[in-house]
Amino acid sequence: MNNRVNELDVASATSSVKLARRQSEPAFPKKRKKRNGIYWLQMSPALILLLLMTIAPAIFLITKSLTNDSLLSSNSNFVGTQNYHAILTDSSLLHSARVTTIFVILVVLIEMMAGLFFAQFLHQKTKANSVAGALLIIPFAVAPAVSAMVFRELLNPNYGWINYFMGLLGLPDQIDWLGNSFTAWVALIGLDVWQWTPFVTLILIAGMSALPAEPLEAASVDGANAWQIFRHISFRLLAPFIGIALVLRTIQAFKTFDSFLILTGGGPGDSTSPINLEIYRVALQSFRVGFASAMAIILLVVISILTPLLLRILSRATQNENV
Amino acid sequence: MLHSKQEGNSASTKIRAAVAAILAVGLLVSGTSMNAASAAAKPKQIRILYATAEANSAAVQAALPSFKTKTGVQLVMDTMPYGALQTKVFAEFAAKSSYYDVVIVDTPWSPALAQNLEPLSAYMTNASLNDLAPLNPADFIPKVFYDTAVYKVAKPSLHYPKPTAVVDPAAIKKAGFDVYGLPIQANALALAYRKDLFDDPAQKAAFKKQAGRSLTVPKTLDEFAEVAEFFTQPSKKLYGTTLMAGTGDWATDDFKTLLAAFGGDGYMVGNNQELNFNSAAGVKALTYYRDLIKSGFTPPGTTSASWDEVATMFNSGLTAMTMNYHDLKLDANVAGGVIGYAKVPAGNSEGPHFGTWMLSVNKYSKNKEWGYRAAQWLTSAAQSTAMLSKGIHPARNSVYAAAEKLPDANVAAYYKTLKQALAVGAGRPRLTNYGEVDAVIFTMVNNVATGKLEPKPALAAAAIEVTKLLESAGYKVPK
Amino acid sequence: MMPIVFMITTSLKDSDIARQMPPKWIFTPKFQNYMTVLVGGEGHSQGFDRLMLNSIIVTLSSTILCLLVAFPAALALSEATFRKREFLSSWILSTYMFPPIVAIIPIFIFAGKIQALDTYPVLAIPYAAFNLPIVIWILKSSIEQIPKEIEEAARVDGANGWHYVSKILLPLAVPALATGAILSSILSWNDFLFALALTRSVAKTAPVGIQEFTGMYGTDWGSLSAASVTIIAPVLIISIIVRKRIVSGLTFGAVK
Repeated sequence: MNNRVNELDVASATSSVKLARRQSEPAFPKKRKKRNGIYWLQMSPALILLLLMTIAPAIFLITKSLTNDSLLSSNSNFVGTQNYHAILTDSSLLHSARVTTIFVILVVLIEMMAGLFFAQFLHQKTKANSVAGALLIIPFAVAPAVSAMVFRELLNPNYGWINYFMGLLGLPDQIDWLGNSFTAWVALIGLDVWQWTPFVTLILIAGMSALPAEPLEAASVDGANAWQIFRHISFRLLAPFIGIALVLRTIQAFKTFDSFLILTGGGPGDSTSPINLEIYRVALQSFRVGFASAMAIILLVVISILTPLLLRILSRATQNENV
Repeated sequence: MLHSKQEGNSASTKIRAAVAAILAVGLLVSGTSMNAASAAAKPKQIRILYATAEANSAAVQAALPSFKTKTGVQLVMDTMPYGALQTKVFAEFAAKSSYYDVVIVDTPWSPALAQNLEPLSAYMTNASLNDLAPLNPADFIPKVFYDTAVYKVAKPSLHYPKPTAVVDPAAIKKAGFDVYGLPIQANALALAYRKDLFDDPAQKAAFKKQAGRSLTVPKTLDEFAEVAEFFTQPSKKLYGTTLMAGTGDWATDDFKTLLAAFGGDGYMVGNNQELNFNSAAGVKALTYYRDLIKSGFTPPGTTSASWDEVATMFNSGLTAMTMNYHDLKLDANVAGGVIGYAKVPAGNSEGPHFGTWMLSVNKYSKNKEWGYRAAQWLTSAAQSTAMLSKGIHPARNSVYAAAEKLPDANVAAYYKTLKQALAVGAGRPRLTNYGEVDAVIFTMVNNVATGKLEPKPALAAAAIEVTKLLESAGYKVPK
Repeated sequence: MMPIVFMITTSLKDSDIARQMPPKWIFTPKFQNYMTVLVGGEGHSQGFDRLMLNSIIVTLSSTILCLLVAFPAALALSEATFRKREFLSSWILSTYMFPPIVAIIPIFIFAGKIQALDTYPVLAIPYAAFNLPIVIWILKSSIEQIPKEIEEAARVDGANGWHYVSKILLPLAVPALATGAILSSILSWNDFLFALALTRSVAKTAPVGIQEFTGMYGTDWGSLSAASVTIIAPVLIISIIVRKRIVSGLTFGAVK
């Protein structure tokens, strides 16, 4: 049928465009060495900056995590892996870890889908899109702490607008949003989605703007419908951007804590208490650097295991249909 | 702290060396002239790190210009709200920064910070440093003073053994303690109620019918529950009272107040880390708290309310009573509303939570004597009285006497009640990781308030957690 | 959009009627709150105008620094002949995982030692560093998307490396640069933790100032919403300007 033929055409058009610079070979091997040197030079400012801001503190963290230092007293005790042991056997911390993971999975999923959805409409250069685009950025532009406070006000069962409007719409309007775990979660996830979907959308729009037009045109000339175009061409070409958005959002989601602190304070009970809130309490309220460092290292390890996994899943998904 | 091992970066090592050299020379130079000149070494400005509304920064800011007029030294104040302030204060001390000369300290932070605060008893007994205003230590409310400012740095968990003795720096020093700050804003839990509702003949009649006695401002916990039930009139969108059952420090403070009222230890943890909250009184306190909420005498949202929301609930006319740490002001749309104040109802005992802010001198400051002068002046009777107009909560007896003569009867009534509360209040246990212990307690309170846990098992579980926390902070918890 | 509407309307209302239920839609807007905020009401230490200025300076400088450092790095990382590029790319991404909360302490101590606290660079440099991974990756992916034909065509036309970069590559990378600029700006603009720890009064930025409107006595919603609206304004303006660049809708048909 027509469809089958079209798919083949589409695929070949794509692969010809996808002559990634990755596969190219330089003409002269000798030049490669020289060019490498220049590349390192180009990288150097970035490397220096990153090393300073991350490796140096990381070393500090690792050494501190083996002590039970507090920043406020001058004595330092080496305690080996005691901190790690305490953390990994602490049931409330493990609970926090579960809480954090579930949150991350949910919000990243929702935001990626919403982001893709919006990006589809907003990446063309139209007047309506400029306005829509500007409006879309606003949630992201509001300081997270302020958004959390505003959400909290809106959800107030006594004077919040949300309950008021739900009443107008005939929905139950006496919900104590922050008083029970389930609705508290809905609120937290809602806040995060509201705030961060623009981030994902922006990245995807950037990706879509870089999409070369011919394969898309060629495919539609060949009769492929919008879904096929998207699935076979756009998605694959967008893959790196989807990848970035996914990885960045995941990492950020693990680092969220402002909204949790302000919206629910970890409550009700400790049902919405993410790892970062615990780290914040230990690090910036008790200033127990040793213990906090150990927590941070563990968090780092978890994220660094997750990220390559995510990336690998993504690349496999996009390689599946290579002709 | 960073050991020099970690500073592999040679550039920073060189900088450190340079700084050290300069400091050494500087010390040599200044050391010779230290004793004579320090009294005369007048800085151009003294920097103060302060809170915002919770310690009434507006009142203090209003006082700053007159210090300059009087002494020529400018007081510069940076303000910050609670959470951010705590991080800032701790960070500054952790870095041993000399930037702020005077720092505001809240009671729960003191045990952790004590080593970084300048001991003041020597300053207090030095006549030449108390020349701007009479110190008059005996004027300080003893309980407030000892709870807030008096510590034994070697063992910060100890409370001063004679909490009602008249304040005398020499005696404090003799007992092995020292003074680490001067109290400036004393907050205590007090009851506020809608006087107009309590005086309303219709309400009075209805109450008489329902309860068989006259409607009075509750003095006991039983009366409180009864009145709260009566004033829960959903048709009028009215509830009996507020409670701060959200997950935050405020829930711990509600709990310890009730704990004391039922005869327990309002400090929750004893001087030798006995877990006194896990007791029969604790069970009673939690049960009482939960029952008030479960019976619906508190508005929706109580189990996620903080002092912020609770103030709003009362001020908007949603409840007939409330308990809070400051005076309240009804919104314009609450017609005919009048506020009255009273002590928090008692059980067979009482111990409303109190916590006071003090001005401490930064141990690393380069202007400690002038820093002391500034702190002393700001907490003197004259200044404190002047700040009454902006609503400061004083820590001196004489200022309360003045407060009760204020023209606004409502405000005067509040001060009267505040003074009574401070006289019987219970502060916080002195733990270096109080913040974390606090988190365990308020989580427990919230879980009981929402009905997730029963009081007795909740207390037992919290006791285990707190034990772990205390041990990890180096304390020994008795079995 | 509801939260935004809430913020704007609350900022214009008198605090007394702000809490009324059902919400009052028809009211006379008052700009009192904006005045209080900008001038610096009592109980606060700096006027908001100063804080906004600081925020602008810090954000602009950190974003420019970030872009300047990221572009060459992204270029290098997209060159197929660069050995170790895969490794470096992944490593850069992994630095993003670093929780800023704990990074603050060592940075604070170090900055204190070199007397750099409460200055603009002490904020701008960490911000640039923390946003670097995002910007590098976005740029890198964009550059990689540029088809080989363009580079070859340019070379055939006799363009050398520098010419190629500035005349052809750069314009094509504009959407990515713009996106990176916006993201980096917003993230720097809204940062609270670093600004709180590393500044005192001279370089204090807006998010820290906003915090002052909250507190134990109840949130001063009037001032808070006015301040929030004020904070958003510059970001909005910049993003509207830059938006056009993001969706420049380039087609590579131009090459042919």
